[in-house]
Amino acid sequence: MKLNRRELVAAAAALAASVNHAFAQGAGEVVIGAVFPMTGSTAQTGLDAKNAIETAVAIVNDKVDLDLPLARTEGLPGLGGKKLRVVYADHQGDPQKGRAEAERLITQEKVAAVIGCYHSAVSATVSQTCERYGTPFMCADSSSPSLNQRGLKFFFRASPHDEMFSKAMFDLLDSLRKKGNKIETLALFHEDTIFGTDSANAQTKLAAERGYKIVSDVKYRANSPSLTAEVQQLKSGAADVLMPSSYTTDGILLVRTMNELGYKPKAIVAQAAGFSEQALYEAVGDLLQGAVTRGSFSLDLAQKRPMVGKVNDMFKARAGKDINDNTSREFMALIVLADGINRAKSTEGEAIRAALTATDIPGDHTIMPWKRVKFDATGQNNDCDPVLLQYVGKKFVTIFPEQAAIAEPIWPMKS
Amino acid sequence: MQDADPRLNARRNNLVIACVCVALIACLPLVVKDVYAQNVLVLTLMYAALSQSWNILSGYCGQISLGHALYFGAGAYVTELLFTKFGVAPWFGMAAGGLVAATIAAAVGYPCFRLKGHYFVIATIVIAEAGYLLMLNWDYAGAAMGIDVPVRGDSWAKFQFLRSKLPYFYFALAFAFVAWLVTWMIEESRWGYWWRAVKDNAEAAESLGVEVFRSKMAAAALSAFLTAIGGGFYAQFVSYIDPESVMSFQFSLLMALPAVLGGIGTLWGPAVGAAILIPLTELTRSFAGGSGKGFDLIIYGLLVMGIALGRPEGIVGALSRRMRRSAA
Amino acid sequence: MTTQAVAQSLASGLLMGLIYGLVAAGLALIFGLMDVVNFAHGEFLMTAMYAAFGLYVAFALDPLASAPFVAAAMFVFGAIVYLGVVRYAMSASANAGMVQIFATFGLGIVMRGLAQLLFTPDYRSIPHSWLGGKTVQVAGIFLPAPQLAGALVSLAAFGALWLVINRTDFGRALEATREDAGAVALVGIDRKRIFALGWGLGAALVGLAGAVLAMFFYIYPDVGASFSLIAYVTVALGGFGSVFGAFAAGILVGLVEAATALALPPSLKYVGIYALYLIVVVVRPRGLFGSL
Repeated sequence: MKLNRRELVAAAAALAASVNHAFAQGAGEVVIGAVFPMTGSTAQTGLDAKNAIETAVAIVNDKVDLDLPLARTEGLPGLGGKKLRVVYADHQGDPQKGRAEAERLITQEKVAAVIGCYHSAVSATVSQTCERYGTPFMCADSSSPSLNQRGLKFFFRASPHDEMFSKAMFDLLDSLRKKGNKIETLALFHEDTIFGTDSANAQTKLAAERGYKIVSDVKYRANSPSLTAEVQQLKSGAADVLMPSSYTTDGILLVRTMNELGYKPKAIVAQAAGFSEQALYEAVGDLLQGAVTRGSFSLDLAQKRPMVGKVNDMFKARAGKDINDNTSREFMALIVLADGINRAKSTEGEAIRAALTATDIPGDHTIMPWKRVKFDATGQNNDCDPVLLQYVGKKFVTIFPEQAAIAEPIWPMKS
Repeated sequence: MQDADPRLNARRNNLVIACVCVALIACLPLVVKDVYAQNVLVLTLMYAALSQSWNILSGYCGQISLGHALYFGAGAYVTELLFTKFGVAPWFGMAAGGLVAATIAAAVGYPCFRLKGHYFVIATIVIAEAGYLLMLNWDYAGAAMGIDVPVRGDSWAKFQFLRSKLPYFYFALAFAFVAWLVTWMIEESRWGYWWRAVKDNAEAAESLGVEVFRSKMAAAALSAFLTAIGGGFYAQFVSYIDPESVMSFQFSLLMALPAVLGGIGTLWGPAVGAAILIPLTELTRSFAGGSGKGFDLIIYGLLVMGIALGRPEGIVGALSRRMRRSAA
Repeated sequence: MTTQAVAQSLASGLLMGLIYGLVAAGLALIFGLMDVVNFAHGEFLMTAMYAAFGLYVAFALDPLASAPFVAAAMFVFGAIVYLGVVRYAMSASANAGMVQIFATFGLGIVMRGLAQLLFTPDYRSIPHSWLGGKTVQVAGIFLPAPQLAGALVSLAAFGALWLVINRTDFGRALEATREDAGAVALVGIDRKRIFALGWGLGAALVGLAGAVLAMFFYIYPDVGASFSLIAYVTVALGGFGSVFGAFAAGILVGLVEAATALALPPSLKYVGIYALYLIVVVVRPRGLFGSL
């Protein structure tokens, strides 16, 4: 018995230790760690993120004729042309696993920086861990506003958070109101996770500030088998605008249930997530004609900036779908990070951090409708205005803000 | 100490073995310096302790609970609410969490212990799930946003450490040893005797004068208390909790699995089970999870299935049976 | 809250309840027959939904038309699972209860992993089915056609099950095996065959439920989790061993869910179902119609 137990523990420890340094930083490359959900209910997001990041890596490593930082050179010139390599880890949506994986990537794989993590809860622990090791964390696609308010020095987020997203949504409503549309009442429909709660909190605050009345505030259990009662409440509220914060699964069920219960909202302005996923429009696209969603990204930008289309083609070749709200942010996060590492001319955490704080990438050197990428003291980029997209026909059209819009909003939505 | 009494001898041997094991494990960090491997060690010890706690109620007393996440979550939340809102040191928080969990276990057990078999199992799941939903909606406790524990440097008083895993490691080791020791002490006590009697045949036990209901309540309270200590520890270790990560149904299963693998209702089962299962699952995820193809799930599932079917009495049960047979 | 809204909620709850009953029927049958709780039930449902989706993509077969095929395929699958896994779990020499739980639970994880491997974790759905998006309106109350069809399938399935159990030799053999597995061997009934058929039948019922759900629900590897806990609660509430208990409990669960969502924030609506279960079993420890 004694031998058995001891041997087991020792063997397990030895097994774990043997992988130590096995994949350590190769001489000719810079390794970045990516922590995403690769299994579980959000696994598809992780797989899409991997494709987005690999697209960005290819652009950095190869010579590509694009107006992106590091595209026209091979590898990182600041580090003697070293190539970028990304190691992926699976956190399964669990903050503990995310933290452990980040630690593994930092100590074993010797990654220069970490990128992730989709779930805000996981980004919270992963960014904490990175802070403790002095490794920069590039928050790619978690939009919880609290993440950059925790006094972390190694936290960076190039894309907007939920308050900025919600602000853009209300800016659109204000401008429509100014044009004479009657928009008085709102209905919030949000899931009971961090994402849903953050989104609803921001929207509740903005509605009060700008004089909109919230007539129904429906918080629902994510992945419920039925949303009938919830839709019933929305229907009886009959608000001017329905504002859902839902992932793909609940989004599909919501739209179908609304249709079945004969509820046709006058307008939908969605907090992306499920409403920027192709799977949702494949399922219920014909019921969503004229629905508006906020986004970080718009393919329409390709008309003004042809490079966006080229990047989309590169991504599509890997993933079989267009770049969307999430994947565009993941793509840009890696580009911004690579730019920082290149300027740092080092893979030391502190040097990369210093270089990232000095980041200043003009908007037209990104694939986003942003003014530029420049981080404030909390590591947040405040010049990354979101856009609002309207689903018309079989694609999204940018309708707001005006400098990015290519069409007038159709309001109210067709039914 | 009479050599003539083999039972007493075996008991003494067990204690010696445990002390030797603890001493050896305590030396492991001299060899294992890698942080990730240390992390796996901490988790292994924590699950050994949690599973040992679960084993008290479900293994010894035979009341199968698949809702221990409730007690784990209670420990985690009480510890962190006291710490972040009132500045109470986690050491007291963990104790308070243990008491809260034991109280909940008694309150839950009072109506539920008349239920038998799967009715009881489903009741434990349902109560834990209801607790999970309530925490998701309780704004004071952070609701879905959870509690982000501020970490301001290494401190034993606050039981938080920036990089070093060793303090957590030694705490987890002590925790696992205490859980083991409690089980060891109880095995041959009146409670232990009563619990086994309740497990084997509650009606017969009742007629022999065993206080069945009190036995179950005691087992539940003790089991919940220890589980909540684990919850408080986990919260400090991860320094972030939300309902999803400390109260979901998955956790209840994860606490039961090592005992099932090692041997339900055995002294060594949970520890042996955890020593095999936790490193295996961690390594599977680290090396197969990144593919996104679900291989880690397939391997893990096959493992659980194979263990349940191949060694129904658990590894320890199978070993001790073989040893008895060869001795006879 | 108008009476109209209350009536609508209850009607929707009733339809959903019948579907919950259908989802739980297979679980109840298997439990009633051999005292095994299938912890891979949600994954069985997921498999059936992918089967319906696959038939739709490959042969443009509407879920309503493919339901019999899905049920047949699931029948074979269920029998195989019994012969390949559950048979061994039931003959475990120790801790049979735990072994069954974890053997089927492990099977469920493997099925999820395989689904991710074969179908990717992307979300699927059937965008256009015969009944999808159609609604029947009665006195201002909306009854969605897919759910209505699901409710009818549920009624038909329970009716057929009643006939099978009470009017056929197979049913009598099932009943006899359930009551005394040892004695039936003496009268020449092959217990293993009956159990395999029972698992097949249980899985076939899950197949029907999967096809019905595929009409309006999304499909991905983890979709079973949305339904499995409710299915366990439904079966236990109805009383283990009683298929018709599951039917009644399903309806009750649907109605209580709807009522709770009216009274409390909808994010807490399952607390109502859980409370219902606890109250019922505390008052009546063998569920509504259990034979324990």
